Amino acid sequence: MNIVVAMKQIPDLQQVRIRNRQPVLDGVPMTFGSIDKNALETALQLKEAVGGNVIVISAGTEELEDTVKEALAAGADEAYLVLDDELEHIESSVSAHLLAELIKQIENIGIILFGEGSGDNYSGQVGPRIAEILGLPEVGYVCDIELEDSRVKVTRSLEDCEEVVRVSLPAVLTVMADINEPRIPSVTQILKAGKKPQQILEVEDIGFDLKGDKKIVTLSSLAPENKRKQITVKNGEELVDALLTEGVIRR
Amino acid sequence: MDLRLSKEEELIQKAARDFADKMIVPIAEQIDQENHIAEEIFEALGDLEMFGIPFPEAYGGGEAGYLSYILAIEELAKACAGIAVVISVNSVGLSVINAFGTEEQKKKYMPECMTGKKIFSFAFTEPGTGSDPKQLSCTVTKAGDSYILNGSKRFITNAGFQGPMVVIAKDSETDKASAFVIDKFCEGYSLSEQWNKIGAHGGPLYDVYFDNVKIPEGNVLGKSGEGLWVLKVAMIYGKIGLSGLFLGTAKAAYEEALAYAKQKTHRGQPIGTKFQHIQISIADMAMKYNACRWSAYNLGFTADTVKDPNQLLREAALTKVFVSETAVEICKIAMGVHGSYGLMKDYKIARLWRDVIIGPQVEGTSPLLKVMAAGIIMGE
Repeated sequence: MNIVVAMKQIPDLQQVRIRNRQPVLDGVPMTFGSIDKNALETALQLKEAVGGNVIVISAGTEELEDTVKEALAAGADEAYLVLDDELEHIESSVSAHLLAELIKQIENIGIILFGEGSGDNYSGQVGPRIAEILGLPEVGYVCDIELEDSRVKVTRSLEDCEEVVRVSLPAVLTVMADINEPRIPSVTQILKAGKKPQQILEVEDIGFDLKGDKKIVTLSSLAPENKRKQITVKNGEELVDALLTEGVIRR
Repeated sequence: MDLRLSKEEELIQKAARDFADKMIVPIAEQIDQENHIAEEIFEALGDLEMFGIPFPEAYGGGEAGYLSYILAIEELAKACAGIAVVISVNSVGLSVINAFGTEEQKKKYMPECMTGKKIFSFAFTEPGTGSDPKQLSCTVTKAGDSYILNGSKRFITNAGFQGPMVVIAKDSETDKASAFVIDKFCEGYSLSEQWNKIGAHGGPLYDVYFDNVKIPEGNVLGKSGEGLWVLKVAMIYGKIGLSGLFLGTAKAAYEEALAYAKQKTHRGQPIGTKFQHIQISIADMAMKYNACRWSAYNLGFTADTVKDPNQLLREAALTKVFVSETAVEICKIAMGVHGSYGLMKDYKIARLWRDVIIGPQVEGTSPLLKVMAAGIIMGE
């Protein structure tokens, strides 16, 4: 059984500095989103429990070929990558279509794992979209997985309860951040990561038409400024009057 | 000239940082107070192969080079200097076995000292004679196919852990120094109480006593009578580890001061934006840390590429002096940013000060290393 893990390349958020209220991304190394790493850890634990092959899939810019070593060092067996510099800031529907085409190239898939949201935009859309495109069942907010022959028993962490469902395979599962603690790779695993098989594809190779207008342009991501009025009051009566005037309280 | 790290180097650095953040930072204060590191920490570090980063894969190492080693030591020392001390001294033992050991010695001692279950020591300094190789008082006497070792050694890191120890001792017949590898806690091996050093707690320091310790002839390291060559190589690789270590402590102090300058306010404004003298302090620390970082990383690169031992010793000595002394300057500035709070043991910066202040005085004092490096430079 192949266990597929979809991962998204993002700047290492721990190393992003802020200048003039904007993130400085120059020189920041690329990594994968933190919940994507939980999804990979889930796959590795499933493999350790029942065997199989863990395949990482991802689409991104040329740097991805280097970034994927992090997943291969952690224990993934191979990677399928789509590389194109036009793949920066693509929107969720484009990612979903692209990755779905990539998944079609992999045989004998049991489970397709995603993090609940990516490390940058956290839209949480790509997993469900792929399930829809491929006609597979999808379960979100997963906090526990047990394999049972041709299906899985999945625990979902909902706001005020847990829900246990069974789902037939193949299935798409999106996992929560607290499902596990991702492992740290050893030195040898890191050094051998680059020697593991990588299938490098271009957008045209998988018959996908990348339309240049399907990009997300972030116009602003600033928190609203909260300007204080700095009204001075001398006593409780003046405070009440000020709060009434500002509409904070009403008589 | 490309100064970027490779992806593999970045990932080794990140692995050390992730481990330090998750497993060491939460217990760093406890390690400092108890002067003790739990065995589980060493074994977990062994699982990640942090004890064997630069050593050959054939003997259980990672074969990732000395730059990777420095990157990892920096991250670990940033969390806890004591842990980095233990790894650095273990690496000294591994380095000399790797350079001088027979195939049999390498197979016996190297793999076990990369697991975290056995830890190397290197014993040279002695009470009374300090680090003067011409005044060694530890002696070995040939007895059949063995040597008998007597004497004592001072300030020996890792001496209380199970594992091998390299001992430099003088042959009573030839008067020449030789290096031997022994198993700690063999018959005739005993320890003093642990020295209560002011910083780098968890990296334990003892005096060691040898009372008729029997050493098989096969445990001579390198050629008999050429122990000072072993010592020279040990000095090189010890300084590489300590350059990474004090770089990490410097970074910890810098980051601690930076966080304090952002968080501490005066009349509603962070002191880091309000007061120019705090800003100048931050700039000074950033400038000095960057200089240390490139010096230390360059030393790692040099160790991976330069084969001439004199050139490497010169670079190692100068880098260790520069990094350890500049780290003290950085930490002093960082304490200044903290004001009176910097003098309180309740604040992390006080622990970092006790860690960093030992730097210029260990593994060869700064004046000694400068004289040694100058000697090499003058002879070139």
